[in-house]
Amino acid sequence: MTVAEDRLDATFTALADPTRRAIVARLARGDATVNELAAPFDMTLPGISKHLKVLERCGLISRTRRAQFRPCHLEGEVLDTALSWIEENRRVWKERFDKLDEHLRALQRAPSRQRKGSYRAGRSARKGGGDG
Amino acid sequence: MADRTPDTGELTYTRVFEAPRELVFRCMLEPEHLTHFWGPAGVSTPLETIRVDARPGGVFETVMVNDSDGSRYPTRAVYVEIVAPERIVWTEPDSGVTTTSTFRELGGERTELQIRQANAPAGYRSPEARAGFATSLDRFAAYLEKLGGSR
Repeated sequence: MTVAEDRLDATFTALADPTRRAIVARLARGDATVNELAAPFDMTLPGISKHLKVLERCGLISRTRRAQFRPCHLEGEVLDTALSWIEENRRVWKERFDKLDEHLRALQRAPSRQRKGSYRAGRSARKGGGDG
Repeated sequence: MADRTPDTGELTYTRVFEAPRELVFRCMLEPEHLTHFWGPAGVSTPLETIRVDARPGGVFETVMVNDSDGSRYPTRAVYVEIVAPERIVWTEPDSGVTTTSTFRELGGERTELQIRQANAPAGYRSPEARAGFATSLDRFAAYLEKLGGSR
């Protein structure tokens, strides 16, 4: 496994938790302190800190050392890597589905099935349907 | 296209095909069909590169070839479960991604194919991680994409 893949794995593992996703979503709107991040959750500060450490370890967030409040900052580039993996994956399956759709139509136009047209009625009306 | 993402979902892609379930199932399992659609747009998957050993523990390997520059992307997976004509599950040992294809009869010879992908690497598939993915990672991604510029 490459370093990049390791990083991506760690990112997805970090994002596998709903609390951590909520934290990331909050930080996408701007930096925040641990106290600010803890406010919407029914969770102790140490509990939140644990989540922040997971996010920090995979590089999704960083914390400045300078200030006493050490605001958390979302590292957009790391998040973008994970998001583009999802986007790429979605594209690949969409295009596979498009091609499979064409292939199935071609198969069913083959001479042996040509007379069996009942299930093809109204097909064009539903063209591209189902992935809405 | 992930509109049907169920709450148990991970990443989910669904499409309805105008074809009987047996046929759609065979398309996902037989090299002579896979070669027609396995590569996304602009990418071919030559028949001779596809290896399918359709049984649990059997290999599912392909090489996708970029039509414009010839670059090759090998994929390597192992079948976990094959239940004709309902379900095919394979896992990619390199990434830990597990893909489940579910074929559902809709009547009128229409078939719904759902692809569900668990992205957690093998070593991390704890119940907690699964529960996290269950709240739909792709919806989360869509939400963040909408926030876009503010990052």
